Amino acid sequence: MRTLRLFLFGIPAALLVLLVAAFVNATFLSVAKKNEMSIGTLGEPSTLNPIQQADSASSQVGGLIFNGLIKYNQNLEIVGDLATKWELSQETTFQFATEEEARKANFTLGTILTRPLPFEDTLQGNALILRLKEPGNKLSEDLLGELMSDGHHPLPFPPLEPGGKERPFKAEPIIRFTLRDGVRWHDGAPFTSADVAFTYRAIMNEKVASPRRSDFDLVDSVETPDPRTVVVRYKKPFSPALLSWMTAILPEHLLGKLDPARWPEAYNRAPVGTGPFKFGEWKTNEFIRLKKNPDYFLGSPWLDSVVFRVLPDPLTLQLAFQTRQVDFWNVDPWAVKGLQGDQRFDLFSAPGNAYNYIGWNLRRPMFQDLKVRQALAQAVNVPQMIKYILYGHGVQSTGIFTPQMWFFDPLVKPLSHDPEAAKKLLDEAGWKPGADGIRVKEGKRFSFTLLANNGNEVRRDIATLVQDDLKQVGIEVKVEIYEWAVLLKRFVNKGEFDAIVLGWGLGYDFDQYSIWHSSQTHPEELNFVGFSNTKVDHLLTDLRQEYARPEIIRLAAELQQTIYGQQPYLFLFVPEGTEVMWKGAYRLRHPGPDGTWIDEPVHMTKAGWSYDMEWFYRPEYPPTAKANSITR
Amino acid sequence: MSTVTATIPETPTARVLKRFRADPMARVSVVIIILFALLAGGTALLSCTGVNWPYDPNLTSLEQKLLPPSPSHWLGTDNLGRDVLSRMLHGASISLTVGLIAVAVSLGIGVVVGAVAGYFGGKVDQILMRSVDALLCFPTFFLILTAVALLGPSLINIVVVIGLVSWTGTARLVRGEFLTLRETEYVKSARVLGQRAWTIITRHILPNAAAPILVTAVLGIPDAILSEAGLSFLGFGVQPPQATWGNIIADGKTYLLDGWWLILFPGLAILVASLSFYLAGDALREAAESRS
Amino acid sequence: MTSFILRRLGLSVVLLFIISIVSFFIVTLTPGSPYPWGELNPKISAEVKANFRKKFHLDRPLHEQYALIMRDLFTGDLRSIKDDRPVMSRIMERLPATLALNFTAILISLSFGTLLGVYAARNAGRWQDMAGSFIAFLFIALPSFWISYLLAIVLVKGFHVPILGTHSYGIEFSNPFAAGLDTLWHLLLPATVLAIGGIAAQSRYLRATMIGTLREDYIRTARAKGLAEETVLYKHALRNSIRPLVTGIGMLLPALISGAVIVENIFAYPGMGRLGYEAVLERDYPTLVALNFVVAALVLLGNLLSDLLYAAVDPRVRLE
Repeated sequence: MRTLRLFLFGIPAALLVLLVAAFVNATFLSVAKKNEMSIGTLGEPSTLNPIQQADSASSQVGGLIFNGLIKYNQNLEIVGDLATKWELSQETTFQFATEEEARKANFTLGTILTRPLPFEDTLQGNALILRLKEPGNKLSEDLLGELMSDGHHPLPFPPLEPGGKERPFKAEPIIRFTLRDGVRWHDGAPFTSADVAFTYRAIMNEKVASPRRSDFDLVDSVETPDPRTVVVRYKKPFSPALLSWMTAILPEHLLGKLDPARWPEAYNRAPVGTGPFKFGEWKTNEFIRLKKNPDYFLGSPWLDSVVFRVLPDPLTLQLAFQTRQVDFWNVDPWAVKGLQGDQRFDLFSAPGNAYNYIGWNLRRPMFQDLKVRQALAQAVNVPQMIKYILYGHGVQSTGIFTPQMWFFDPLVKPLSHDPEAAKKLLDEAGWKPGADGIRVKEGKRFSFTLLANNGNEVRRDIATLVQDDLKQVGIEVKVEIYEWAVLLKRFVNKGEFDAIVLGWGLGYDFDQYSIWHSSQTHPEELNFVGFSNTKVDHLLTDLRQEYARPEIIRLAAELQQTIYGQQPYLFLFVPEGTEVMWKGAYRLRHPGPDGTWIDEPVHMTKAGWSYDMEWFYRPEYPPTAKANSITR
Repeated sequence: MSTVTATIPETPTARVLKRFRADPMARVSVVIIILFALLAGGTALLSCTGVNWPYDPNLTSLEQKLLPPSPSHWLGTDNLGRDVLSRMLHGASISLTVGLIAVAVSLGIGVVVGAVAGYFGGKVDQILMRSVDALLCFPTFFLILTAVALLGPSLINIVVVIGLVSWTGTARLVRGEFLTLRETEYVKSARVLGQRAWTIITRHILPNAAAPILVTAVLGIPDAILSEAGLSFLGFGVQPPQATWGNIIADGKTYLLDGWWLILFPGLAILVASLSFYLAGDALREAAESRS
Repeated sequence: MTSFILRRLGLSVVLLFIISIVSFFIVTLTPGSPYPWGELNPKISAEVKANFRKKFHLDRPLHEQYALIMRDLFTGDLRSIKDDRPVMSRIMERLPATLALNFTAILISLSFGTLLGVYAARNAGRWQDMAGSFIAFLFIALPSFWISYLLAIVLVKGFHVPILGTHSYGIEFSNPFAAGLDTLWHLLLPATVLAIGGIAAQSRYLRATMIGTLREDYIRTARAKGLAEETVLYKHALRNSIRPLVTGIGMLLPALISGAVIVENIFAYPGMGRLGYEAVLERDYPTLVALNFVVAALVLLGNLLSDLLYAAVDPRVRLE
């Protein structure tokens, strides 16, 4: 009985003592300040194999482990990463019925055009191969015109896709990369062009199921004439192609002979790359730790390690930041004001690369009248939304591009908030106010359902405000919130919805073919509102073949204006992102353009505040000049 | 000298009620329950006639977002400027409705299953009870999510679903009661007399099992309210703009460190309401079971 | 005895399969399908999606999918849709943390619950009993997410104490004693929140059973014999009311695993509850089927164990 009483009172007492002791210990915890950066991430990366993932959590971690051939610098200009040089050229081929004809055509071109010729010509049997200095269709079309007006008729080539058009000539852009010397993988093996070729083959391999495959569909071949050179040949001009080589390069010596089915356990959770940090440890659902790579080709990073802590929701992230468990916090707009005056923190703000919108299903009769869509845009008070949902941290969207992009057209003006004008437009479109205040046309009430996904407060707030605003002009809106997976499968992928609140997170490139081309309106494709406009279709395909920067800017501006004018979406706003850091927790010491080190506080750049994150250091562990010498 | 007084014998129900009334905690909880019911009912009635007190719960007023409690907004405002007190009053009627209907559903199923298992016994009992065991092995949240996703997140669906996952306790209890009551003399005589099972169950056994069933019902209401709050918290509850106590907290948690009133008051309301029902139900159970 | 165990095991296996079938069909019939690429991504072509569907048998009829998943489950080859890793490793990674959390929660529930229950039964009818009841119901009525957030506010804003995960960041660099206490802290905090409801339930159950036992004749005899109240209470009454302690374990387990979803989310604790919640949202069918299986198996095992314990403890019970 004694023992029974002992247990009965003893166990609770022991637990209580332990709890108090643990709590006291936690309050006095002085965590040794290590030379480690701690980043909180909301989604856990699904895999650290960069060609098999597309979520932002994975790419954040992957960015420190891997390199691509090229990358953006802090001004969003393309600079070399694993490649030191890249040359673009093109091979345009005309074929003729006989060798004789080919020679004659060659002669014609040589005489008609002025010197110096814009190409190098070669004859190969009955084919005339021209080596152009720049990719693109224009010059080739001009040459074709010259040939034909002089009576030469080249034989057409078969179409690239089944059911496509025949091609009067073959235009094959070529990119020639010169790779950096002396780069090693984290396990010591040398980096060569074989790795690049392997990465391409892996991306195209069905078994790998890479989401980046569509970027490389137009690649004809990847050749490696020597360990420092890669030559990529494309089937036709496709200007976004160069950017696709920002993709991380994988090690051929580790994955080349390994069946992709074995990648998840053999490699994906312990990847080997060429980047500034090596993989250290991954405790699922808790953290991923990376250790510095002292042999990094630009020099060893100053930090010993970087840890990504996995946290399930924004509130937890905030709590972790407040207790210094993580060093950075992506703060919601409503909290920014309170933090701005706080001397303990540094804040970095910039407009993001995303915009929020309401997509109108253009297959629904009520949204088919442009006047109606304009009215809807003018009825909703977007500036007020920015003021109260984003607390002023955002700009009104003027279309499909965001202000950070170099091809953004700042001259497009947003539609003004004008409920009276909206009412007039609706009247003109035949929607007259009914008995209960809701507009009616041909017996149908103007009432629709607006969808949004749960878990996203901003979108939910948008839906509520839109509901109110539209009520003022006599339109009834019902809001329904669904889980993300349901929203996609039941509504978006089938194109069966009235209107939906969504957002696009974009990269820095101008190719939005998959979102706006009229051929992309089938189930599961991204033009789920059913937008179809011939002018836009042409602009989209032209952009894809245009390599010259001024031309791209011109076409992009026209694209942006046209789409904005058509209002297939109610373009809402581009939110501004704000990152908070404990003041002075980090500084930046990175290689400058002229071979010196630049030491400065962490600051905002066009490419974000975390650009060059691998060169952050903690002031308690200052980098010594001896530790690094700038290489190449 | 003793006086013999003739008294009308008390019915069992009256006895139970008397004992119930004697318990001070029971009295307090009943008062609170009635208060909630009045507030909820009153608000619902008023809104039917178009009157909103103190404010329209769905009126967004962005200039007045996230205000702490003040004389004009007794419980503060939320992130869209809506008055928290008004939303809570309207939420009260939802929460109480959820509680009542979910319990009705779960009672309906539970009583039927338990009665059949307890009365017929044998194979039927085995099968039914094994199914109950199997159901208990399921993580209930997962079932609820699935059903809500399948049927759509409306009030009715949520209520039905909560009812559907919580009938097992009632079933077990009812079965137990029936197993015991089946052996009583008058039931046995009723069977000998050839009365049909249905008549025996409804006329003889059920009324005597009424007390424990009622107790389960009263104790089930707060469970349903808490389930609805949990569902709203996870994002699968009643949709905007309708307010429930759970969904005010769910919406407010983003503003946790700066908008404590959005968490404190609805949570307190849930707590007090649930507590009152639990105390009342427990007192009822004591009153019904006590042998004095 | 052995025949009992064997029969129960057999029955459990049958039940497990029925559960797996039902749970599979419920999840797959839910609207929404697996989409492991986060937001709508312009880079994911229809072809990639088709390949993905083929890889995970999503293009086959439901009963075939079920058969394939079950086959993969038993050959150990079942892979998660989210990251293509074997499902069982994902579950096994979380298992220790989950067991630790649930075991601690059960320990807290049983020990404090019993104490409270005995105290209430001993003072049955008096104000201590009413206070005990009140506290118990207060605990049951407390929404777990509410108390978790209130605790979070107090601990973070008030005391600057880290509360997330299984250990504090940087603890590896302190002495082992502090590290041990730190791990304990991160375990005890969510376990206590989980245990609140359990404490209440245990104390009520125990109190009811003990009061019933205390009315028995042999207790009256013991008292009449002049035994000290203490002895009566503990040696006789409590021992014979041991059943709630034992059956309590079996009943608490499924409630804990699903109740832990909220607590694990708030405290960022890496357990199976969180795994299940995320898997449901991502429609990760293989993980869900395997998880349901494991949970159901644990529960059935727990029930079997508690029945056996009950039989061991109480000689009057005959297992049929």
